[in-house]
Amino acid sequence: MKILIADDSRVMRQIVIRTLRQAGYDDHDIVEAEDGADALAKVGSEQPDLVLSDWNMPNMSGIECLQALRASGSAVPFGFVTSEGSPEMREKASNAGALFLIAKPFTEDTFREHLDGVIA
Amino acid sequence: MTSTDTGQRRRGSDARPVITELIDEMTILAIAEEAWVSLVGEDEVLVPIPSELPGDILSSWVDVVGPWTGSVVLTTGRATAEELSRALLRESAPELLDDEDVADAFGEIANVVGGSIKAALPGPSGLSLPQVGNAPLVRNAGDLCRVDVVWRGEPLTISVQGALPPLPVPTPSRENEVPL
Repeated sequence: MKILIADDSRVMRQIVIRTLRQAGYDDHDIVEAEDGADALAKVGSEQPDLVLSDWNMPNMSGIECLQALRASGSAVPFGFVTSEGSPEMREKASNAGALFLIAKPFTEDTFREHLDGVIA
Repeated sequence: MTSTDTGQRRRGSDARPVITELIDEMTILAIAEEAWVSLVGEDEVLVPIPSELPGDILSSWVDVVGPWTGSVVLTTGRATAEELSRALLRESAPELLDDEDVADAFGEIANVVGGSIKAALPGPSGLSLPQVGNAPLVRNAGDLCRVDVVWRGEPLTISVQGALPPLPVPTPSRENEVPL
């Protein structure tokens, strides 16, 4: 399975990769994107099976990326990993077609809770 | 923030709550502790005792814009900010950290702490991208909630401070800001 991780923070991308590994999802290809626009392009070029995306990013936000994907007909499974964990953001994410929203700070248990059944 | 400045808007601003009506030190500390455990490490402890900051300090912050508008600011010694960055990067930390690594890691901690504080405040609110540099000035001492902690023996402050009244733009405090 190929997982695309989009976050403008290189440190946070590494923490997400580390947490995936700690949660037991350690046998997957990882592709990184540094903002929403990069993620949008890499969904096209890399054909990931899952996108884990930050919300607030320069150039294109995570929600704008998700909306652009759905508008283009892409149904790639998409979840947020973001510091934006308020109820209104969760509703926005769900309405745009996100499968889940993992709020930062997270633990490996939080990852398992949201990703079991999503990651094969 | 860009709407016409009518008298109605000013009256609305006057009625804004100050941060001490919305959140307390214990909640801020609990939020910071959770962020530390998740990002820095399971055994990392923040001890809530006041301690003098060194002369060479660095701040990271995010702005919250909504029913309450202000900044969530982390301030610590520059060397401690670098140690924090190493702790986040763990085995992938380079031998020599550059400013961009520190801005990225220290800014991300402010982003996570700020996002959790934003979620505890009345919404809807917007959250800015993190910034690193010289902290925004405290505008109103009555609209400030500050927690002093010690991490690995080094002082660190978490300041949740209102943005009103506004200061002239650009503010001198942001001259040395490091873009992320």
